[in-house]
Amino acid sequence: MKMWLIMEKGARIRFIGHLDLMRTMQRALRRSGLPVRYSNGFNPHMLLNAAAPLSLGMPGLREVIEVPVGGDIAPEAFQERLNEALPPDLRCRAVRALPDEHPAPMAMLRAAQYLIELDGDDPGAAVCMSALPGMLAVDVLPAVRKTKTGEKPCDVRPMIYSAEILGPRTICATLALCEAGTLKPDLFLTVLARRAGVEKPGAFITRMQLYAMQDGALTRLEEA
Amino acid sequence: MNPTQERAIEKLLEKVEKPARYTGGEMNTQVRPWDEAELHFAFCFADTYEIGMSYLGMKILVSLINSLPYMSCERVFMPWVDFRAGLKAEHLPLFSLESRKALSEFDVIGFSLQYEMSYTNILDMLDLGGVPVRAADRGEDAPIVFAGGPCACNPEPLAAFFDAFQIGDGEEMMVEFLDTLRECRRQGLNKNDTLLRLSQIEGVYVPRFYQPEYNDDGTLSAFRRTDERAPETVRRRILKDFSNAFYPDTFPVPYTDIVFDRIVLEIMRGCTRGCRFCQAGMIYRPVRERSMERIIALAEQLEKATGYEEMSLSSLSSGDYSCLKELIVALMDRFQDKRVSVSLPSMRVDNLVKQSLEELSRVRKSGLTVAVEAGTQRLRDVINKGVTEEDVIRSVSDAFDSGYSTVKLYFMTGLPTETDEDLRGIGDLARKVVAAYYAVPKERRAKGLRVTCSASVFVPKPFTPFQWAAQDTIETVMEKQGRLREYLKTKGVTFNWHDSELSFLEACISRGDRRIGEVIYTAWQDGCMLDGWSEHFKYDTWLKAFEKCGLDPAFYANRERSYDELLPWAFIDMGVTQRYLQLENERAKQAKTTRDCRKGCNGCGLQRYEGLCNV
Ligand code: SF4
Repeated sequence: MKMWLIMEKGARIRFIGHLDLMRTMQRALRRSGLPVRYSNGFNPHMLLNAAAPLSLGMPGLREVIEVPVGGDIAPEAFQERLNEALPPDLRCRAVRALPDEHPAPMAMLRAAQYLIELDGDDPGAAVCMSALPGMLAVDVLPAVRKTKTGEKPCDVRPMIYSAEILGPRTICATLALCEAGTLKPDLFLTVLARRAGVEKPGAFITRMQLYAMQDGALTRLEEA
Repeated sequence: MNPTQERAIEKLLEKVEKPARYTGGEMNTQVRPWDEAELHFAFCFADTYEIGMSYLGMKILVSLINSLPYMSCERVFMPWVDFRAGLKAEHLPLFSLESRKALSEFDVIGFSLQYEMSYTNILDMLDLGGVPVRAADRGEDAPIVFAGGPCACNPEPLAAFFDAFQIGDGEEMMVEFLDTLRECRRQGLNKNDTLLRLSQIEGVYVPRFYQPEYNDDGTLSAFRRTDERAPETVRRRILKDFSNAFYPDTFPVPYTDIVFDRIVLEIMRGCTRGCRFCQAGMIYRPVRERSMERIIALAEQLEKATGYEEMSLSSLSSGDYSCLKELIVALMDRFQDKRVSVSLPSMRVDNLVKQSLEELSRVRKSGLTVAVEAGTQRLRDVINKGVTEEDVIRSVSDAFDSGYSTVKLYFMTGLPTETDEDLRGIGDLARKVVAAYYAVPKERRAKGLRVTCSASVFVPKPFTPFQWAAQDTIETVMEKQGRLREYLKTKGVTFNWHDSELSFLEACISRGDRRIGEVIYTAWQDGCMLDGWSEHFKYDTWLKAFEKCGLDPAFYANRERSYDELLPWAFIDMGVTQRYLQLENERAKQAKTTRDCRKGCNGCGLQRYEGLCNV
């Protein structure tokens, strides 16, 4: 059996990097005494599997981390005990028990939803907000993506599933996040600012939800 | 912080290196809500987060203070240059990690003094936190600012900046200090009366009640009380029941890497060896052990509370702990299933049992560290370092035999009476260590021999038998380091040496008087801080600061004192008597060793306290 942990990484600890966060999870699981399975071999370790690392500085509200478990334990009990062992800014919001054959979260991940709050005192923010509908109306959005091998021109339009205006300075965007192609919210904002003809405004970005693709539609990863 | 400030901090965090240094929220660091505490304590460490969080004393005291029902204790560290610049640019105060309160909002500010070359950071932190740097400039409503820790044994260089010092073991003194402070607050006493009350606590020194006077040659002529109600002699606080004294049952678990990221169990305080250069060995006397039962109980609680996979046994000389082997075996048995490893950081070569080495390597193979200190037996006798060449070779051979291939040898240059022969001796010893490695059959030894010889510069310290000694001048130090480099040109051996300029300033400050405070102040005003970080150390600025204050650094560092000179720290009774230190200094001159006082009392002065030494 394995568990999918639906985790919230709070704003206070948004600067904790992925590896440090994984180590924190491991220590918490150790403290909890939960029946977590370790790898075999000379140096056994916990096999934690995160759907996707969060960028430094970004909180995440429904992150999915997979952990193999040995004993028989109810998801509710697992969640409760884990939360007792976690620091206050890292919370387990739900636990889902799955058979080992279930695909790993990373393999199912297709997209993520972000809450993008533009800085109120940034003059470019309002201009960006009004440029958003126009940007969504076009079919092709050329951009330059930075990859490990260098800069690559690409079309980011197909990687935007949706982008809604939630408030005077707030955008909720669902963007592709998978091996085939990822659009980071930062690049989304760069493209938007360029179309608006302003400097990229400062923003506080939170990852709200992760998605898988089932029957041609985005479905919450935590339920897929 | 108001919302605008909060936003500015968040923006700033996005721009700096290692922002997690400033955000707190780590496991086991949660404190009482701000409004529920009667007194707020800011525990300050005058260096970066990673260093401060590795320091055991801070863990003990923060935890102790938070255990008092009326207190809340939060942590403040020295910000790195980028964050500091951002705070200044945005007019943000230096704040605590837990509640993000400015330093100036606290009732009490306590600094831990670990290292003289972090003193400028103290001034900088106060200033950044909105607290006037000089005690005299702080009004009735300003926080009480005090310091403790090993460097408080000569508090004079910092006398102008602190309202009080705690000298000696903090566990009981801190509680009395805070209880008294709270009582004074409740009674509405003014600052002077409050400090007078605090000065009555054993171990507490309040500099405003004392005044130094000087001779024409710059030496002290008198050290007088300005208020007869303050004690004439400040007695170091000594914890009697160390075994059962407060020890945290939980440790903060940082999110990011710190220097020592593990459970630390202080198994013993004090040391009986009597190395003559070692200040810790003199000022933490007598040796006190924590019982095995208590250590094991603490280990279990701490393992549960932290989830750490490593614990280390800590003390000045852990190998001297009376039932070390039993302790290690007991801990190993208990924690093996949980994959927790046990290590001994300060292993001494002369009692390093091969078996315990094997025990240790069952779990973890790291390098072996041997503090040899001097290159010849004669000089080792001078400093009373009870290590022979045979000891060194035997233990490195054992180590090589059990699969270690990395050995670090620590030496000091500039020890009293040092000659060229002593420097050559370091090279000879390094070569013998290399030979010991090749003497182990090839199949048995691990590949990749690395012998690192580190030579620090001897800094004479108060309350040691060498407190009267002159430090080598910078020119002599550099010349000796050059020679040593030649003597250590051997395959497999690397040589590291310390910055002589830094050690020179350390010597000036550690044996400084009250006037040195002005030098520290001036150096800081002229831009010195983070001096311990070589990229920020500004030696010339320091020299100019001395000049501006009309003081000669050589007077402090390179001058031999006579026995009748009034030393700036003489008003403190550290336990070890000045007479004993003199005696030891004389023995040193004759290269006469003094026995380990576990084998019989040497009458160092602690025998004046009944029931402290069980010899
Ligand atoms: S009084 Fe004697 S036994 Fe006690 S610390 Fe001093 S020398 Fe050692």
